[in-house]
Amino acid sequence: MMVGAALVNNVILARFLGLCSFMGVTTRIDTAAGMGLATTFVITVSSMADWAVQRWLLDAYGLGFLRTVTFILVIASAVQFTEMTVKKVSPALFQMLGIYLPLITTNCAVLGVALLLVEGRMGFIGATLFAFASSLGYSLVMVIFAGLRERLALAQVPRLFAGPPIGFIVASLLAMAFMGFSGISTN
Amino acid sequence: MWHDAHTIEGVARVVGVDPDGGAWLEPEQTTSCGHCASAEACGGKGIGTIAGRLAARRFHIDGGPRLHVGDRVVVGVEDRMLLKGALAAYALPLLVGFLAGGVAQELVASDAVTMASMAIGLGAGLVAARLLARRMARAGGLAPRFVRLAAADECLPRGVAQ
Repeated sequence: MMVGAALVNNVILARFLGLCSFMGVTTRIDTAAGMGLATTFVITVSSMADWAVQRWLLDAYGLGFLRTVTFILVIASAVQFTEMTVKKVSPALFQMLGIYLPLITTNCAVLGVALLLVEGRMGFIGATLFAFASSLGYSLVMVIFAGLRERLALAQVPRLFAGPPIGFIVASLLAMAFMGFSGISTN
Repeated sequence: MWHDAHTIEGVARVVGVDPDGGAWLEPEQTTSCGHCASAEACGGKGIGTIAGRLAARRFHIDGGPRLHVGDRVVVGVEDRMLLKGALAAYALPLLVGFLAGGVAQELVASDAVTMASMAIGLGAGLVAARLLARRMARAGGLAPRFVRLAAADECLPRGVAQ
C-alpha cells in the first residue's frame, strides 16, 4: 500500500496534485527538500485530524456533505498549528522554514490526500501510513525534479524552450519514467 | 562579507538598527498572496495580514557594515543548515509520533489509543526538536548572515532561491 501511494499513484506525477509548488519551489534541491519535509509533516498531521473528524463527526452525524469544507478548515488549522509550533520550538528555525508554510495552505495535494484516504475506508494507522507514504512520494519527486532543474540551469537550452517550457517537458518525461512503477502495487 | 555557492539567499529590508551595530530586518514580500485582482474579496487575509506575517518573521543580524533603516540587503543561510533544520523541525516529531503510534497499535489495537499515542509522540518529538534546534542555534548555523547590500532592482525569487 505504501509503495503504491508513494510511487505508482504518485501525488504529483499520477494524480497531478500540488503542481504549483512542484514548478515553483524546485529551483534548488535544498529548498525543494525543505518544502517536501514541511508538506510531509502537514499532510500527515492534517490527515490524522481529518480521519478523526470524518469518523467521529461527519460519519457519526450524517454530515458527509460538509466533508470538503471541513477538511479545508482542518488543513488551514493544521498549517497554523505547525507555524505556531515551529515558531515556539525555535524562532531561528521559523525564520528559515516559515516561508514554506503559507504555501502549503493552498497546496491541493494536502486536501487531495485527505479525500483519498476517506474514500479508501482505512483504519487510523492505515490512513496515516497512506498519507505519510503519499507525502514521501511528493517529497521524492520534488527533490528529483529540483536536481534535474539544477542540471538544466547549467545546460544550453534553446531560447524557445528556456524556463518553464523545458521544465514541463522534463516533468512529462519524469511522469513517464514513474509509469514504470505500474504493476508493483495494485493499491 | 560571507558568501559561497552553498548559500541560500533572500532579500530583506532594514527596519531598525541597534547602537552596537546590529540590525533588525524584515524579509521582503515573499508571496503573491494579497496582490491579485481578488485581494479585496479574499478570505485568506483573515488568517493574517501580509504586514503581520512579515513582522512575525522579523530577525536580527550582527556583523557586516553599518546599516541604515530602509537599506535593502541580501542575507543568506547555509543550504545544509536549511536541510538539517527541516529534518529537526518536521522529520524528528513525525518519527517519534510513528514509533509511539506503532507501539500502541501493537499493544492495544484501538484507533483511539493509537491516535492519542501518536499525538503524545508528536509532542515528545517536538520537545526533542526544540532541544536539537537550541544546540544548532548555539553553534550559530541557524541565524541568517549579511551577504551584501542588494542592488536597486535585485529581487530573488520567493526570497529563498537564487
